[in-house]
Amino acid sequence: MDAVRAEGLTISYGGKSALSDVTFTLEEGKTLLLLGPNGAGKTSLLKTIACFHREYRGKIEVFGRKPCNARELIGYVPQSHSLNERVPLTALEVVAMGGIYRRGFAHFRIPSKVIEKAKGVLNFVGLGGMENRLFRELSGGQKQRILLARALMSDPKLLLLDEPLSALDPSARAEVANVLSKIKNEKRVTMIITTHDINPLLGVGDLVMLINKRLIAFGRPEAVLTDKVVKSVYGPLARVIPVGGRVYCITGDFHIHRGGHL
Amino acid sequence: MIPEFILRALLASIMVSVLLGFLSPIINTKGLAFLTHALFHALLFGAVLGMILALLLNSYSLVMIVALVATVVIVITIAELEKIGFTPDSAVGITASFAAGLTVLGFGILYKVMATRPYFPLTENIVSYLTGDIFLVSLSDLTLLVAGGTVIFFALLLLYRDFLYLSFDPEGVESYGGNARVYLMVLYVIVGTIGALIVQTVGLITLQVIAILPGAIALMVSNDLRKVLAVSFFTTLTVQLSSIVLAYYTAIPPSGIATIILGIVYGVLLARWRG
Ligand SMILES: Nc1ncnc2c1ncn2[C@@H]1O[C@H](COP(=O)(O)OP(=O)(O)OP(=O)(O)O)[C@@H](O)[C@H]1O
Ligand SMILES: [Mg+2]
Repeated sequence: MDAVRAEGLTISYGGKSALSDVTFTLEEGKTLLLLGPNGAGKTSLLKTIACFHREYRGKIEVFGRKPCNARELIGYVPQSHSLNERVPLTALEVVAMGGIYRRGFAHFRIPSKVIEKAKGVLNFVGLGGMENRLFRELSGGQKQRILLARALMSDPKLLLLDEPLSALDPSARAEVANVLSKIKNEKRVTMIITTHDINPLLGVGDLVMLINKRLIAFGRPEAVLTDKVVKSVYGPLARVIPVGGRVYCITGDFHIHRGGHL
Repeated sequence: MIPEFILRALLASIMVSVLLGFLSPIINTKGLAFLTHALFHALLFGAVLGMILALLLNSYSLVMIVALVATVVIVITIAELEKIGFTPDSAVGITASFAAGLTVLGFGILYKVMATRPYFPLTENIVSYLTGDIFLVSLSDLTLLVAGGTVIFFALLLLYRDFLYLSFDPEGVESYGGNARVYLMVLYVIVGTIGALIVQTVGLITLQVIAILPGAIALMVSNDLRKVLAVSFFTTLTVQLSSIVLAYYTAIPPSGIATIILGIVYGVLLARWRG
């Protein structure tokens, strides 16, 4: 079955289109890496699939349903800077949030079943024993893994991740990428991951989609990530470098100065 | 033997501290300062309307009830405006301008009605409404404060976690199956109701400060939710009680003293935080 299907999808804000005429199909169980420069429409596409944004034309289906009818199948992981960290929540409380809203209106107490499950997913993302730590005092990589754990609480069939690697140092990026591989391999969840730095995720991505207000390219990484395509989106300084069986992309996020002054 | 009016004042300030102790941290984390601004206009409008009706119908307990209803109607309007896409600021701007305009018109009517009455204790009442007068809390005011306050307190307590999650990540609440808009509406109604219940004790002028500062202080000094609630509660209670004592001996309206003490505490903490 197809997890996500878009046909002639155009997403707009107040009549102004942010992403035009996108058509693609994502098979169940596959991981799609969504690439594009700032303002390309990555977040808009994710939010439309997740039913947060509803102004669109064309067709978009999640497991054959309209996005807003497929909410219980979707786990959305927002960019961590969109969270209000003034609220003093513990890691466990943040994770539990993913498991309490199916039932009841008032959630004074977290049900013990939910707590058990939350501890389980915390273990799964490698943060067992961290339950009572304050979310805002964790490292960037740990926070991101907490948010992954929260999304896993509802056993989603489709995970949407908005820049899970942004603002992380390289070792934290690898840490999060490992958890993403683990989710893919052990839970067989379909994932769409937006990112500016594709390299740590090439191991987990089956497909790559490049957008910039419209669809530029969609397909297997080695087919999409060519010098020509990457340069057309990121400018003449962007490069694709094959190393071993893999490709590495330099899209201008990284600058290495050689010689001369720093 | 403690005089009865002091006992009433003590009871009222305990109730106020319980309500604000719990509400104030949420006002801070959810960023609802703008709403307390609207509350000012809503409560003043409600009070003037209530006083007109109270004079016409000869029933002074109407003031608080009318203020409560007017305030709840106004906060619901704000929430509805936000729902259809207005920003919180503009929603408050629209409703507050209506309320403020109607308040001024209401004063005109109030003076006319007052002129037809040979005796009108309400002139004193409107001033005590503005400055708050804990020593003038009547038995019926206190009954309404305690009964209404208890109901609202339990509603707030039962939904506390949901309000925290709503502050932390409203989209998260939505995407995991909760209805963020309904929670926000309920929270607004709770804020409005608490405002109307405590305004007579705390005073309209200082209500905003007393609703915001204890939570701000508590969130500054502690990370742990239970401690935050405890600090917020005891800050409000200490300030309320000490201002009752001071006011008893100096005859200055207690809410003025309470606000200044709070301002000093907050200022000192901020200074220490930076220094
Ligand atoms: N709420 C909004 N209202 C109006 N326009 C918006 C809104 N959100 C996004 N846009 C516009 O839609 C376009 C795409 O934005 P989007 O956030 O989807 O880009 P993005 O690819 O996620 O960028 P980034 O890499 O910076 O996160 C931009 O031109 C942006 O200005
Ligand atoms: Mg984005």
